[in-house]
Amino acid sequence: MKLLVVEDDDETAAFLLRALHEAGHVVDRAASGRDGLLLAAGEPYDVIVLDRMLPPPDGLTIVRTIRAAGVKAPVLLLTALGGIDDRVEGLEAGADDYLVKPFAFSELLARVNALARRPPPQEAPTALQVGDLNLDLLKRSVTRGRARIELQPREFQILAFLMRNAGRVVTRTMLLESVWGFHFDPKTNIVETHVSRLRSKVDRGRGVQLIQTVRGAGYCIRDSE
Amino acid sequence: MRLFRSDSVRLATLYTTVFSLAVIVLGAVALLAARSALKHQLDARIQAEALALAQEYRTEGIKGVLDAVEERDRTPGALDYGLLGEDGRPLAGRLSGVSRPGWATLRIPGHSDELRILSITMPGGRRLIVGESLQQVSVLDGVLVGAFGFAFLGVLVLGVASGFALSREVQRRFSEMSGAAQAIIDGDLGRRIPLRGAGDDLDALGATFNRMLDRISALMDSLRQVSNDIAHDLRTPLTRLKQRLEASLSAGGAEAQTMAIEAALADLGAILDTFAALLRIAQIEAGTRRAGFRSVDLSALVTTVAEAFGPSAEEGRRTLSAEPAASAVVDGDAELLTQALVNMVENALRHTPPGSHIRVGAGRDERGAFLIVRDDGPGAPADELPRLFDRFYRLERSRSTPGSGLGLALVAAVARLHDARAELRDAEPGLEVRIIFAQERPRTLAIPNAGVMRDAGYSR
Repeated sequence: MKLLVVEDDDETAAFLLRALHEAGHVVDRAASGRDGLLLAAGEPYDVIVLDRMLPPPDGLTIVRTIRAAGVKAPVLLLTALGGIDDRVEGLEAGADDYLVKPFAFSELLARVNALARRPPPQEAPTALQVGDLNLDLLKRSVTRGRARIELQPREFQILAFLMRNAGRVVTRTMLLESVWGFHFDPKTNIVETHVSRLRSKVDRGRGVQLIQTVRGAGYCIRDSE
Repeated sequence: MRLFRSDSVRLATLYTTVFSLAVIVLGAVALLAARSALKHQLDARIQAEALALAQEYRTEGIKGVLDAVEERDRTPGALDYGLLGEDGRPLAGRLSGVSRPGWATLRIPGHSDELRILSITMPGGRRLIVGESLQQVSVLDGVLVGAFGFAFLGVLVLGVASGFALSREVQRRFSEMSGAAQAIIDGDLGRRIPLRGAGDDLDALGATFNRMLDRISALMDSLRQVSNDIAHDLRTPLTRLKQRLEASLSAGGAEAQTMAIEAALADLGAILDTFAALLRIAQIEAGTRRAGFRSVDLSALVTTVAEAFGPSAEEGRRTLSAEPAASAVVDGDAELLTQALVNMVENALRHTPPGSHIRVGAGRDERGAFLIVRDDGPGAPADELPRLFDRFYRLERSRSTPGSGLGLALVAAVARLHDARAELRDAEPGLEVRIIFAQERPRTLAIPNAGVMRDAGYSR
């Protein structure tokens, strides 16, 4: 994938570039808002990673400008620690996702991957499939092979989210945000316990374990064959 | 002179001048009115006398008139008279030499005052003159002018004296206020404007200023508290982190080093969490989120949170039950209220032994809508209950459990933002944390107050 990183701090930028490159992406970097705006408006990128605080213009202005110019590339906005209102502001400006510094790189990578392949709204599927696991979003039913699996509503939401991102890492915070709408980090392992219940219903007694834990990053559903 | 620049002196001077002018005008009007009334009276008496003598002439003839005039001249206090022949020669009385008939005011040699006279022509060309000295009028003038002169002086003295007294009093109180302000500027932040207890305007103003100063000093205290807290409570984990990293330098083997680094990262994560929580509390306390208040269904909140934490509670062998009552809708920030409730639940999960039962509820009673989390754990000593909402405050027996000591502080901050009250109660046994939303929160309170702490490290 071709990515653009707009980040003025050299050390952070170098770290991001190296790590994203290692993950197999082609990365351009802009060190100022002006350069970032020129690149983002001029070249086709799969994902734009944009720092919010930049030498002018700032991140929000860039998002607004490129959206007004018709650039559809998904934007992941990075911000300094703490701002409660910033997420809403960023999303309203036209960003697609939001990450608070300091972040774990695995979190950034997972979100970049999720953004890159986010299907356009009109193509949202009504049925999802991974291996022999089928999920029907309309009937809200889940089957594995021929067996029907009964899930609690939250477990269904978690599974649907994992399956939409099949093959990609889904982090704990991504699940907290999308399934529960929690935009903060509870200190209790609620994600772990819910996923482990889901896993016991989906994978227990099966030869192929579909829901996998990615150490230090999150979860991933994939058919390992 | 400083005194004459003050507003109160200027006002007193103005009032004194206006009152003095009023006294002068009043005096002049009274004088003119009294004079005119007296003159009318005089004229009426003169005319009556003249008519009476004319009547005498008609009935008794000239002889009768002569007798009457002579007799009256001898009577003290009577008017002055004169009877002249047709050739102008005086026949009787003291008045003479007046030729024109009608009213006249004239000065007669031998009289100290002016004379008011009426001269009429009688049949046969004789002329009768009746007159009266205007002495009464000048006496009245003297009395009235004297009286009003005294009144004028009185008003002047009273006005100036009370003006001075008033301005000195007002000036004294202004200088008290200004002295208190100067003392605060010089660093005595505890100083307040002294009040009279008289309940007057200046007292009301002073009380308002004192309330403002209290608010400012509360904010200053909380700011100072935060910096102290950060200094004290982050030093420990930072020191530990430093030791870990130093130890990892000398650790033998790659595996031991990896473990040390992982432990250091975990420490760092906890420190960053503490920072984030502190900043979040500071931001909430700045009150800027009020602009985005919407209707929030507390019961739905309870259901979501209880459902999210149920499995984790069960894993720790605790039970979690939700008791959402209907009709608990408040005006607020859904995200912050969710986080507050989550913190209340996590507090209960963390500080109760396995086997405990935790109840999460929402409802409405006579005090208003509320959120409640109640456990049947060991609770907290009564004297420490109120302090549990303080930043970094932890019970002695909880020092070893994980947590930053900021969870309930955030609950309290969220409650304050919503004009709600956060309460801790002994649930006998256990602990009950409750947020009570004031009934019918007036919407005018939703104006965000000044973001005093907004710049405390928060960048946008």
